[in-house]
Amino acid sequence: MSTGAAATPLLEVVDLTTQFFTRAGVVKAVDGVSFSLRRGEVMGLVGESGSGKSVTGFSIIGLIDPPGRVAGGSVKLEGRELVGLPAEELRSLRGRVVSMVFQDPLMTLNPVLTIGEQIRLAIEAHETVSAAEARRRAIAGLAQVRIPRPEATVDFYPHQLSGGMRQRVAIAIALLHRPKLIICDEPTTALDVSIQAEILAEMKELVAELGTALIWISHDLATVASIAQHVAVMRLGKIVEAGPTLDVLTRPQHAYTRALLDALPSRAKPGELLLRGGGVPDAAPPARNPAATVATPVLNAPYFVADRVSKRFETRPNALRGLGQKLGLVQPPAAVMAVDEVSLVVPRGEALGLVGESGSGKSTLGRMAAGIYAPSSGTVRFEGRPVMSDGPEPKKLTTRVQTIFQDPFASLNPRMRIGEGIAEGPLAHGLVSKTGAATYVRDWLAAVGLDPAFAERYPHQFSGGQRQRVAIARALAMQPDLVVCDEPVASLDVSIQAQIINLLMRLRAELGLTLIFISHDLSVVRHLCDRVAVMYRGRIVEEGPAGEVYDNPQHDYTRRLLAAVPVLPEAAA
Amino acid sequence: MRRETPIARFWSEFRESRVAVAALVVVVLMIGVALLAPLIAPQNPYDLANLVLSDARRPPGYVGSSGYTHWLGTDAQGRDLLSAILYGLRISLQMGLVAGAIAFAIGVTLGIAAAYLGGRREAFIMRVIDLQLAFPAILLALVISALLGQGKAQLIAALVAAQYAYFARTAHGAASAERGKDYVEAALSTPLPARQVIWRHILPNCLPPLIVVATVQVANAIALEATLSFLGVGLPVTEPSLGSLIANGFQYMLSGRYWISIYPGLALILLIVAINLVGDQIRDQVNPRLKR
Amino acid sequence: MLTHVIERVLQALAVMLVMSALVFVGVYAIGNPIDVLIGPDVSQDIRLDTIARYGLDKPLWEQYATFLGRVLHGDFGRSFVFGMPVLDLILSRLPATLELTLAAVFGAALIGIPAGIYAGYRPDSLISKAIMALSILGFSVPTFWIGLVLIMTFAVELQWLPAGGRGETAQLFGVEWSFLTLDGLSHLFLPALNLAFFKLALMTRLARAGTREVMLTDTVKFARAAGITEGVILRRHVLRLISIPLVTVFGLEFASTLAFAVVTETIFSWPGIGKLIIDSIQSLDRPVMVAYLMLVAFVFIMINFLVDLTYFALDPRLRKGRA
Repeated sequence: MSTGAAATPLLEVVDLTTQFFTRAGVVKAVDGVSFSLRRGEVMGLVGESGSGKSVTGFSIIGLIDPPGRVAGGSVKLEGRELVGLPAEELRSLRGRVVSMVFQDPLMTLNPVLTIGEQIRLAIEAHETVSAAEARRRAIAGLAQVRIPRPEATVDFYPHQLSGGMRQRVAIAIALLHRPKLIICDEPTTALDVSIQAEILAEMKELVAELGTALIWISHDLATVASIAQHVAVMRLGKIVEAGPTLDVLTRPQHAYTRALLDALPSRAKPGELLLRGGGVPDAAPPARNPAATVATPVLNAPYFVADRVSKRFETRPNALRGLGQKLGLVQPPAAVMAVDEVSLVVPRGEALGLVGESGSGKSTLGRMAAGIYAPSSGTVRFEGRPVMSDGPEPKKLTTRVQTIFQDPFASLNPRMRIGEGIAEGPLAHGLVSKTGAATYVRDWLAAVGLDPAFAERYPHQFSGGQRQRVAIARALAMQPDLVVCDEPVASLDVSIQAQIINLLMRLRAELGLTLIFISHDLSVVRHLCDRVAVMYRGRIVEEGPAGEVYDNPQHDYTRRLLAAVPVLPEAAA
Repeated sequence: MRRETPIARFWSEFRESRVAVAALVVVVLMIGVALLAPLIAPQNPYDLANLVLSDARRPPGYVGSSGYTHWLGTDAQGRDLLSAILYGLRISLQMGLVAGAIAFAIGVTLGIAAAYLGGRREAFIMRVIDLQLAFPAILLALVISALLGQGKAQLIAALVAAQYAYFARTAHGAASAERGKDYVEAALSTPLPARQVIWRHILPNCLPPLIVVATVQVANAIALEATLSFLGVGLPVTEPSLGSLIANGFQYMLSGRYWISIYPGLALILLIVAINLVGDQIRDQVNPRLKR
Repeated sequence: MLTHVIERVLQALAVMLVMSALVFVGVYAIGNPIDVLIGPDVSQDIRLDTIARYGLDKPLWEQYATFLGRVLHGDFGRSFVFGMPVLDLILSRLPATLELTLAAVFGAALIGIPAGIYAGYRPDSLISKAIMALSILGFSVPTFWIGLVLIMTFAVELQWLPAGGRGETAQLFGVEWSFLTLDGLSHLFLPALNLAFFKLALMTRLARAGTREVMLTDTVKFARAAGITEGVILRRHVLRLISIPLVTVFGLEFASTLAFAVVTETIFSWPGIGKLIIDSIQSLDRPVMVAYLMLVAFVFIMINFLVDLTYFALDPRLRKGRA
């Protein structure tokens, strides 16, 4: 925050209030927020979902659409009041004096226009230029954000670029008119860790070069820490704490900030429960039905093994093309090897972490382990028996491997009450009788920390964290021995994430589960897992005990991956 | 405590549009009237004994030889137009709903089967459906009607043939989309048998877009039947639907006896517009891309 | 790109072949094929002679082959009612329907699309609500009824426009067109309007739905954040994005309008192929029916093919190529 009255602040926000009119009533998304920003300063705006951080950004730049509106307060940019400014004047400021970068570049760039055309439109919003001049400036802009071969990229369409490149294009558009302030709304959240690191570094350089002020909105404290000089923490529409980044992160004053930091796995010792303090312990899970373990394990077989499994995804040619391929007239398109000859062994009771970026194949491998996809080659065996049958229509052969998915909303049937959803599998496999089903469901709900009366509710009535608990109950109600967790906390807020991690750790201990934990978040894996396997482009490049891999990475890729993770400053003693 | 079943939520949002609710009321009323037609129509228009030729082509308000007032006038055969309209409404609705229901059953089964079977079988079925969709409904209905002759069953067959493809395509699209979602994969990997997954997971979640298509198709079927009857290929003259009534009265339009065509026409339009308004509201509610 | 085009052409040919087989089998299944060739009240000698000449006692596939051969030479037989070769008959009537359809479809697009975009851009304004209300009517009210009302109002009551027929025509490229004469235009107006109503309503609704959806996307938000004016956003972003679904529907609806002209032509006594088919169905003039079906199938497939190509041109995601 600007101390001292030295220079007029570039941006001065006083008591900003933004409201939304919903069917449930009026919601104050931003409730009396005040801060100021000097020229060239970088500020981080941090909060969980519903904190109002994004809405604050949109309110500043004047992009609040009905049913929302800026209800009060003032936003002064270079001394000029923005709230209540006529639309045309506001428009002329946008892109020129203040611009914005959004989260998902795939959605923000128009898929049917070339990069060059989109840049040109942005230039022409404020100046008249010839086509040749526009092209020249587009190429220069792309070069500035470190896009290789900008003369060629200018003619590409967005879908031809990778995610990181697209975001760079969006940043280039934001920088076109050399604005005084850029607001970035979660700009790297949708990107891989290594790309994120690159873009973070580039943004730092760029704003230093150009003297642009930056508001970096994010839910990730570590990212903000690496770029912002000042940070403000928001909760429920209000700023609860603000100050120089180092101070806020090492000596947090407000209870919420402290709780937020405590919830981070990177701040805790591996294996320890996060969010120290408080909370009623959940009920114990129901006793195991001995009928669940029907098949006797094959002697001396490893508990879980994936033996040289591969998964190939190919586009199916239509009849004509297929014919052409058979006759050798047309080349078959290159198949995508999502997983390439991977072998993995997981002993009983271990928690194995699978880490990697997008395209690494970790999810595909997880799905083969769980019996969702059949491998194109190789076998997956649990207690010596194959998980999936052979043949053209493979079927899953065991109930003892279950999955917890990433997106809790998508993994629950929206039209089925959660009690029915939990009981469905056990009923179908005789793990529980019809008469006993209701009690069984209630016991499991209690075991995951939910009120048993919720069994009658529908998924939309729950929050994200609660839905994930339901998903866990559903998976565990099948009484599995091995649980594949596919990014189970990736969609959750930090504090909720901590609760779910705690829940998983507890249940694992109580039920003696074996886990395969897939995640792109290295700190979560470090916290939860005994061993770690690092995947890159369909292969495992490094594997070993978690501590060793993190502290002493052998493979080049692992080193780069670990180096790219933004690090929080250590807490003060 | 507010009911949170999917239907209750749908209804509470639906209620917010006054236009849609009004339209729904109109539809329900018209269905009610059509069902009760034999009871409430002043005269049975099919009973040839009732027809008195001297009463023919009389304007609205005319008091007929049987003693009661023909509120909407009489038609060319001397039938009370109000009664004829009520019965015609009954037939139009019958055709529309029955054809719609059969087309729904056939189309949805095909569409979901195609999505489930996958591979070449899916491609083949969808290709046939696409070809069929390409063919204009009216032409198809015309040709089939012409080939099969006149009559209720034949007309229903023609309408079904013209419509089942829309259901099939929508069902296939919805089922394919749902098939890729996590909750279906979760159900399949429990493992649960495919039949159970289709019935309890995929099908219920395909219903919203299907209901939208169903309302549009019922409206279309009614309009199509009316058009066919108007062209003389639909129902026989003895059981006139609204379309036939309009057709019969067409020739009298130019001589100023407009009511014989206009009133049945208004009834038809009211019905179709009401159904479409309801369908529109459902479509807007169900469209995920319109949620802010 | 080339492979794609070839693929599509081959597909189109395959479909035509299938259609011809279906039509042939249909006729064979429903009635005696000889009824396709000669009238019902012909002497036994001529009957036997025709059977021999056209090989109707030969196996089915051979008959189909001969049928196909004849069709490829343009020989669809002779109409029972008119006595002239069916192909000539249809071709003589085709321009009338084409004129009508083109006028209706282009009129509908020119008015409907801008109206729909406006309604989608400002969904809560009074004008938009009026547009949507009208479009519901246009969409729901059966074409024949609108035709009746049009005739009643403009031809009977107001006597501004004629009630039927085609009026005077003038020649262009050896074909008779009515839009080239004033009298012809006055005859063309009402039927084209009638036919256009449904199309207009459809275009408006589609344009509105597409515009509403696009206006809510991040693309538009980002463009606004860059300070781009609303007008430019509508023209360069929204229009481009909704053009893809619009073109598809436009193309498909063209063929369906061609078929739907049947109703309008009946009401307005417009001498096109629509009226021809209705008369043929009623008089069981089978050669005409067969030829009509094949023609419509052909137009359909051609249009599908063109729409496909346009799709390819409009949506770069369908083209191959990665950076």
